[in-house]
Amino acid sequence: MNIPCPFCGRRDVEEFQFRTLVPDPDAEAFARLYERVNRSDDSLEYWQHVSGCRAWLVIRRNPTTAEIHEVRVLGEAR
Amino acid sequence: MTRTSPHYSAAALLRAALGRGDYWRPLWGKPTLESAYDVVVVGAGGHGLATAYHLARDHGIKRIAVLEKRLVGYGNVGRNTTIVRSNYLLPENHYFYEDSLRRWETLSRDLNFNVMYSPRGVVDLATSDDDMSTLARRGNALRLAGIDAVLLDRAGLARFVPALDLNLPRRFPIVGGLLQPRGGTVRHDAVAWGYARAAAALGVHIIEDCEVTGVRTAAGVATGVETTRGYVAANRIVFAVAGHTGAIGTLLGVSLPVETHLLQAMVTEPIKPLLSTVLIYMYADTDVYICQSDRGGLVMGGTLDGFPSYTREGQWSHLEQVVQSAVALLPQIGALRMLRQWAGTNDMTMDGSPLMDRLRWDNVFLNGGWCYGGFKGIPASGAAFAKFVASGTAPDLIKAYRLSRFATGHMLDERGAGPFPARQ
Repeated sequence: MNIPCPFCGRRDVEEFQFRTLVPDPDAEAFARLYERVNRSDDSLEYWQHVSGCRAWLVIRRNPTTAEIHEVRVLGEAR
Repeated sequence: MTRTSPHYSAAALLRAALGRGDYWRPLWGKPTLESAYDVVVVGAGGHGLATAYHLARDHGIKRIAVLEKRLVGYGNVGRNTTIVRSNYLLPENHYFYEDSLRRWETLSRDLNFNVMYSPRGVVDLATSDDDMSTLARRGNALRLAGIDAVLLDRAGLARFVPALDLNLPRRFPIVGGLLQPRGGTVRHDAVAWGYARAAAALGVHIIEDCEVTGVRTAAGVATGVETTRGYVAANRIVFAVAGHTGAIGTLLGVSLPVETHLLQAMVTEPIKPLLSTVLIYMYADTDVYICQSDRGGLVMGGTLDGFPSYTREGQWSHLEQVVQSAVALLPQIGALRMLRQWAGTNDMTMDGSPLMDRLRWDNVFLNGGWCYGGFKGIPASGAAFAKFVASGTAPDLIKAYRLSRFATGHMLDERGAGPFPARQ
């Protein structure tokens, strides 16, 4: 799997570190820590390009087909 | 309806060899899906089939269906590395897995089906004095609980595992290990087939190619499941969908403490007997476990791929890492060719221990979140979960696996990794 980093271009997944699934923004502190929105068709995740630019990324992808739908830098507007 | 297979015995085999009968018959039939059952079990894997078997055998429940999206044993029960052991540190875990290991010892007889339990020993290897202290602590905890554990020094290890060259210069030298002699391997497919056959013989309906797409409710209880073959009414519903536990939770409107990750396994071409035990080599944040199958192939696996996935396709970089670790451990296998490689979806929980509880409704039960431990837990899980479903009260053996443990702070975090499933 390759991930298109907004700064570095398309790079192998080995360069990236998955951090966590993005919690539901309305969730309480307990749920943010211990519960996950886990879907087999659509997944919103935090990643970091640890062996590259080290940017934190928000990635939306399909975990069943491995298709990546959206990659953006954490904190930047869509 | 298809006649299913008869009781297996030496006498029956002899009669079959002399006669011209129809001894070799399908292990389970193809019953027609009925419109209502007492218990519907979702998922014909190890835990689902074992639960159905014990519900029929121990609790006299007559109308049971096991609904399976694909085929019996398509999921993790046929994708693991076949290792069974009970050498966990935490009491809740080692008592549960010890109950399971005792059941493995007699399972072939109980099911009248040879599951090829092979108590060849499981050895955790130590690469430092600190490792040895940790293993000694775990071994002592196990022995206090009446579970077998033997701490091996270099000489003991060299005697028990002749294939392992301890004098080789290594970056992480091996200084000893912890052996569980009764640990070993069980033929995984035979477990699925054996439970399916035994359950079918007790009248359980095993329905393949039937996906559950939702739960219908009325007045605060579940009344049945929507499937791709229509609605099926049920008094009680059991979800045992390893690899899709989190997705089922989301389908039912419950956020579960589960992330789903891939774990790869692989097997080399068959060779003459080399390794007579199971080796687990953990060092520098990676690990490999390796054993030799009865066919001669070296079966190995390592750590998770590192990000959520349902693809059942492993990453190449991780495959390489596992193979590197295996060759570092046993350099003599370096020239072997890889025969097959596959991956399974693991429901990783926030503390690395399973989930066995009710799910949202009083008559809906969840058996999942098995992380890497699912296969070895099957016999205990089936027996205890059937008791839970039949009586409505969780037996002591599985009480600790309740969902509320995260809210009350009673996590069973064997690794001490915290709520980061990718690191469990």
